[in-house]
Amino acid sequence: MSGCEHAIEYVYQYLDEEISFFRKSRVRVHLRRCPPCMDAFQFEEKLKGVIRDRGRSDPPPELFDTLRALLQEERQRDEPGI
Amino acid sequence: MADQANFERDAMQYAPQLYSAALRMTRNPTDAEDVVQETFLKAYRAYDSYTEGTNLKAWLYRILTNTYINKYRKAQRRPSEVELGELQDLYLYKRLGEASGASPSAEADMLDAFVDTDVIEALESLPETFRMPVLLADVDGFSYKEIAEILDVPIGTVMSRLHRGRNALQKKLWDVAQEHGITGNQS
Repeated sequence: MSGCEHAIEYVYQYLDEEISFFRKSRVRVHLRRCPPCMDAFQFEEKLKGVIRDRGRSDPPPELFDTLRALLQEERQRDEPGI
Repeated sequence: MADQANFERDAMQYAPQLYSAALRMTRNPTDAEDVVQETFLKAYRAYDSYTEGTNLKAWLYRILTNTYINKYRKAQRRPSEVELGELQDLYLYKRLGEASGASPSAEADMLDAFVDTDVIEALESLPETFRMPVLLADVDGFSYKEIAEILDVPIGTVMSRLHRGRNALQKKLWDVAQEHGITGNQS
């Protein structure tokens, strides 16, 4: 497998920091001398950030109140009849 | 063993994330709220089985995921390992590269044009089998091991679904980019 193929195969594991020390070193050495792969890795890293930052939705404002009320009701149910 | 009396104090901070994850799973705000409410009730009732000091966020996500699956999956046709078709590594990078010409790091700059709704549309388009690991890894930042525990599948399965799911996500992002003219009227 060429250095480029190896690097691209492990791009996600590398960015996720889920890669063995040996493979990580091999990828790192390759990136240092291969600007196209480095460019691709930087793109993937940025994309990961875009998905994290823009893939989430805010809850409706009353969510906390709803959940608190739900738990309150559940606690009262636990108490033996007064 | 965790004290049930502390549940609200401990768990409430995760409600917004859990809601967002539920919304990506159900793709519907009413269903998402139902799933979160049911998750909180189940988690409250089972809180004495949670070991204090262990990963509470992952524990809650596991309940959330199971709640979603039990509630909604049986309503669907049993999803087989969905065929995503031919997938390519670095799909979006390559397509954006072709669209932008040869200027360096132009692809990364083009990512700025994607807005929340583009990313959400692409995420929600993924078949469930692939959507779940992608959400857990990329939006919620869980490790492979945590995802394996949340979804109750081997870590190798997480890795392969994540890889294919991300490739499919990139393909969808490219489609969205074209529909919304992000790439400069290619289509």
